[in-house]
Amino acid sequence: MADNTIPTINFKEQALALLPEGASFDACLTCGLCSSGCPASGIENMDPRKFIRMAMLGMDRELSTTPWVWCCTQCKRCQHVCPMSIDISQLVFIARGNWPKELKPSGIVRSCELIRATDSTSAMGLPPEDFVFVVNDVLEEVRASQPGFAHLQAPIDKPGAHFFVNQNSREPMNEPDEMVPLWKIFDLVGADWTYSSKGWAAENFCMFSGDEQAWYEVIRKRVDAVNELGCEVWLNTECGHSYYTMWQAVNRFGLDAHFRLESLITYYAQWIREGKLPVNADWNRPGIKFTVQDPCMIVRKAYGESIAEDMRFVVRTLVGEENFIDMQPNRSANYCCGGGGGFLQAGMTEHRRTYGKRKFDQIATTGAAYVLPPCHNCHSQMEDLNHHYGGNYGVVHFWTLICLSLGILGENERTYLGPDLLALLD
Amino acid sequence: MTSATRHHRCELAVIGSGIAGFAASIFATNRRLSTAQVGNTGAIAYTTGYLDLLGTISGENQVLTDPWEGLTRLRSSEPDHPLNSLEEADIRQSFSEFTTFVSDAGILYTPPADHNITALTPAGTLKQTLCVPATMAAGPRALQTQSPCLIIDFKGLKGFSGRQVAANLQDRWPGLSCRRLTFPGMERGELYPEVMARALEVPATRRQLADLLRHAAAEVKIVGLPAVLGMHTPDLVHRDLEQLTGLTIFEIPTMPPSVPGIRLRELFEQLFPQRGLTLVPQQKVDRLHLSGEGALLELADNYGPITIEAKAVILATGRFLSGGLQADVTRISEPLLDLPVTQPASRAEWYREQYTDRLGHPIHRAGIEIDRQGRPLGRNGEPVNPRLFAAGVILAHQDWIRGRSGAGIAIATAFRAVTAAEQLLRS
Repeated sequence: MADNTIPTINFKEQALALLPEGASFDACLTCGLCSSGCPASGIENMDPRKFIRMAMLGMDRELSTTPWVWCCTQCKRCQHVCPMSIDISQLVFIARGNWPKELKPSGIVRSCELIRATDSTSAMGLPPEDFVFVVNDVLEEVRASQPGFAHLQAPIDKPGAHFFVNQNSREPMNEPDEMVPLWKIFDLVGADWTYSSKGWAAENFCMFSGDEQAWYEVIRKRVDAVNELGCEVWLNTECGHSYYTMWQAVNRFGLDAHFRLESLITYYAQWIREGKLPVNADWNRPGIKFTVQDPCMIVRKAYGESIAEDMRFVVRTLVGEENFIDMQPNRSANYCCGGGGGFLQAGMTEHRRTYGKRKFDQIATTGAAYVLPPCHNCHSQMEDLNHHYGGNYGVVHFWTLICLSLGILGENERTYLGPDLLALLD
Repeated sequence: MTSATRHHRCELAVIGSGIAGFAASIFATNRRLSTAQVGNTGAIAYTTGYLDLLGTISGENQVLTDPWEGLTRLRSSEPDHPLNSLEEADIRQSFSEFTTFVSDAGILYTPPADHNITALTPAGTLKQTLCVPATMAAGPRALQTQSPCLIIDFKGLKGFSGRQVAANLQDRWPGLSCRRLTFPGMERGELYPEVMARALEVPATRRQLADLLRHAAAEVKIVGLPAVLGMHTPDLVHRDLEQLTGLTIFEIPTMPPSVPGIRLRELFEQLFPQRGLTLVPQQKVDRLHLSGEGALLELADNYGPITIEAKAVILATGRFLSGGLQADVTRISEPLLDLPVTQPASRAEWYREQYTDRLGHPIHRAGIEIDRQGRPLGRNGEPVNPRLFAAGVILAHQDWIRGRSGAGIAIATAFRAVTAAEQLLRS
């Protein structure tokens, strides 16, 4: 039996060590708010309340071997609604780390290995020289083909630039033209920015594999890259867990980071307020409806309500107040889409879609034609849910809609637009 | 790494996010006081949705059908009860303001009347309450008229049994019957009311449930369901199901975690920031510094440290579950300011011999003392600080569970605290 090779953890001891000061499991009413609010409840016959109760009962073997730990996305909604603030996701992290590498979902393990294989820290294994080549190649094409952008910049390894901009590997690897809208936005607002040939990638599945050492090493490489270029701000683009893994690791491992960690969403809002991004909703003549996804990794688990408000300000400005419909629940109470925690990479497709049904229902209830998720995992998961459950919504990046509003969205940058939005550009 | 403390400035800081804390924020918002509210998840998610004012008086056997008359008798039977120091007109206004605000915001409530409503509990017992959500109102009416009624429960839903409700009420309501259905799309495993409520926000799920209800009801025209009729738009879901089925439908509260409480919490958490209130949800205040000029609250969320500077503070931190009071081996204390807590002389006196003693237990009447303006008193019997007020069940000399008076104490004392704080701030 493969299970025999998974060591047994004393979960009660681990759980007690994780309790906040003054808290006690004795005060847990087993009320079930955690399980009631968890989209992973019921999968593999497990839920957060059951997990904690089993830990208290010493059912360590069962907990050490349950595959549920790979279905929990560590979104922390259970902790968010728990009057005792019990952090079950930390137990899940410990449980994941306890699994022998060969028994962990191979997709997550492989992604972590690829991240460590090059100086890029790219989960798709794109080496630095290839990244530099792709960026320059795309830039050259845009300069040549798009009037008005003959002088567009995409600096790489520019010392002293204000922003060190990270980049999800999906774009340079699979859809390089999707990088361009963001370059245009930077150009318009006059941002002093740079990519780096080292540590540029946004994704980080080492944390999700429960491999603390690997997580540390990846972040160490990224922190060194930012420090070497002397940038003031590490700017996280439209990607959720890249922010959380970096921010948590800098604090957890006491890394010497000489810069601030910021989110692109905050800057979109700031640039709009300052008039540097003169977007408006005039383009949305048909009144196309939009909703937003609050990524757990940057809203509930990090910034909280402030970034959720920024996100709504940006969307309302972009699509029109009357065309924005919030999902319910939302902000810090929002549900994880089911694409986080490495679930998309774990190969447990049926479970992942079961988990995501609640997200699909949330989106369907809004009646919105498009979802804006500033997170790549959310993006992929919500596209898959739409396809699987027969929905009729699209998923778009913020940068796409910003450039659409500004009338500067190039022909090759329209992959995620449906016929209704494409019709507006003809 | 470089990071900074976030700092907020306001006129009034509310500490606590139960009924008392949210009521305080409602009254403050209505009075245009710039307000910040901080509070842990708290017990609001456990509420039934009923807003009790006063259901029984200690030592009396009968239920109170007229809570206003009951308040006059409360003065002699429980002279130190916190409701006694409030004017009836203020209590009426506080309930009226609270239910109007919540109704306007999207959860319709019955307005406070001259008499209590006899309402149903998940165990099939009855209780007295003042206001109920509109989605529950048809239940007490059907009970009163003794109309034939079908109670529905669902396979996999724990904590709510139609058979139990019907069995316990059979003597008082002979026309009750029950049926168990399978909730659409949730054929397997354990069901949670929260999940069912959110599923009913989807029109397709409503249509499927409506078909099942119509079929189950047969000749019966009134149907009672566990409280799962939507989370964000309960009145719309309720109306839609009634139209789809042609039935009169009402909700009965379920055991925690219950939907009506989560409805209220999510409503407040979304609405207050839109009204300009600074809300830091799901966090506790670590330290509270008071001075002659104001107060400084220190706390932290996931992102880092936060400070809130206020001219006045309302302490609505609840009792033991919410952390407003804490008990160790020998004594009960108030952890934030170490306010003196009125309590039994020794631990041996916390509880009576019989758990179900009709007189209740002395520990449940422990709490902090206040003056007539709602200001907590120090060990010298004087207000601790002129800018500090308290509200809710942290107050001494009440047993809100036994008295069926939790919301009454929370809402009315929050009203008094905000009124007094407003006077101070405007003077």
